[in-house]
Amino acid sequence: MASVITANNLTIAYDKGKNIVIDSSTFSIEQGEFVFITGLSGSGKSTLLKSMYGQIKPQSGSLLVGGLDMKKIKKGQLLQLRRNIGIIFQDYKLINEWTVEKNVVLPLIITGYNLDVQRVQAEKLLSHVKLSDSANKYPLELSGGEQQRVGVARALSKNPFLILADEPTGNLDEFSSGVVWDLLENASGQLNATVIVVTHKIPTIFNLPYRHFIIENGGVHEVH
Amino acid sequence: MFILPLMAMLIGVEFILLFNRITTSYEDKLKSDYAILVISKKELSTPLLRSYSDRVDSVESMNREDIAKEVTAGIQDAGMVAFLKGLPYFYRVHLTEYISLEELKKVQSNLKKIKDVLTVEIFGENYHSKHTMFRLVKMILNIFIVMLFIVSIFLVIKQMEVWQLAHKNRMQIMEVFGAPIMLRSGILFKIAFIDAIIATILNIGIFIYLKVTWAKKSDIDFIKENQDLLINVSDYFILFFTAFVIVLVSVLFVAVKSSEVPEG
Repeated sequence: MASVITANNLTIAYDKGKNIVIDSSTFSIEQGEFVFITGLSGSGKSTLLKSMYGQIKPQSGSLLVGGLDMKKIKKGQLLQLRRNIGIIFQDYKLINEWTVEKNVVLPLIITGYNLDVQRVQAEKLLSHVKLSDSANKYPLELSGGEQQRVGVARALSKNPFLILADEPTGNLDEFSSGVVWDLLENASGQLNATVIVVTHKIPTIFNLPYRHFIIENGGVHEVH
Repeated sequence: MFILPLMAMLIGVEFILLFNRITTSYEDKLKSDYAILVISKKELSTPLLRSYSDRVDSVESMNREDIAKEVTAGIQDAGMVAFLKGLPYFYRVHLTEYISLEELKKVQSNLKKIKDVLTVEIFGENYHSKHTMFRLVKMILNIFIVMLFIVSIFLVIKQMEVWQLAHKNRMQIMEVFGAPIMLRSGILFKIAFIDAIIATILNIGIFIYLKVTWAKKSDIDFIKENQDLLINVSDYFILFFTAFVIVLVSVLFVAVKSSEVPEG
């Protein structure tokens, strides 16, 4: 299997290197794997995830995402990479002035797919996340759980090779959490996407084999 | 609303164009009304005068008989002929530019170097007061334009800050999903360009009204005289172009400021 993420002596720091969050960590994640990253609050889980989509640059060592060095990546290459990554946020990050349907197809709009493709894909995904009736609503008309399902649909809309989820069920009720886990399991199992989920707690019922990394004192350790 | 600061800036631009035309026209008028008087024992030619000063534009010879008639009114013809024989040649010398008194004195001293020239009269005092007045008017207008521009720039910056707050969230979400800068700021461009078109049309409308209606009815001679200098067709294009450049710079500035990823 090909490596999707390869970290070698990866160090991530804030304040120009003064505040080290991830310290000299080495690990790799393969295509199609489902990975949980856990750790205490402030341990650096979200920081590690942000470095995977280029929001934060590594301080030292190397981090390859889809074969691209995130330390040396150019802005244009980064935008190109992001078009093939699905990202799910704890606070949903939906565009409130856009309808649910338009939010879902945002990655398709960015890539330049035509309206017909966008409509078909939005219909399919909204049906998967059980929000077919809400296509023309605006995010603020939905509950938190519904908004997160829109966020998941958006992340899956372009069949990304990598899905990064930051506490995707952190604010959700049981039903919405169940829908989100099902969708992520499907993405990994059926689409062969690599799914990396940062969470406080691994769900008790989970049907796929997965890997578990824990971040402690700046180190990223795999739990066997 | 981006229209108001944009309109203020465009009014500033139109004033620059207008004042430029007015000062140029005023300068031309002063220049054409003014001439140096050169009195010479013998006839002078334009190339000769020009060879002594490159500021010489044209030379007008004054009719000696007319001068003699005026001076010898009531004297017999024979007396007039004798008078004419001894009368020197008079020339009105027009200059290429409306120059300062210092430069004018330089021209005077250069022309005095011509062998047969008896005197060169520059009417310095009168010229100096008119020239000073002209410079003062130009300076006041320039100060006014600069102040108008500074105020407009502040208004545009404030508007950009409002935009940034209003659109930052959407732009950052789009950037996370890989949208290029032009797509991220697409809606801003749309709003800004519509505002630019409206602001330009309103500006043109105001100045056309001033030209066609207000200036005609005005009791002020200066405005009536310069009515034709108010907005003209080339200004329409300059205003459109200026408005588009302003919105382009403003939107790109907001888009770049909203980006969370450093350029690399």
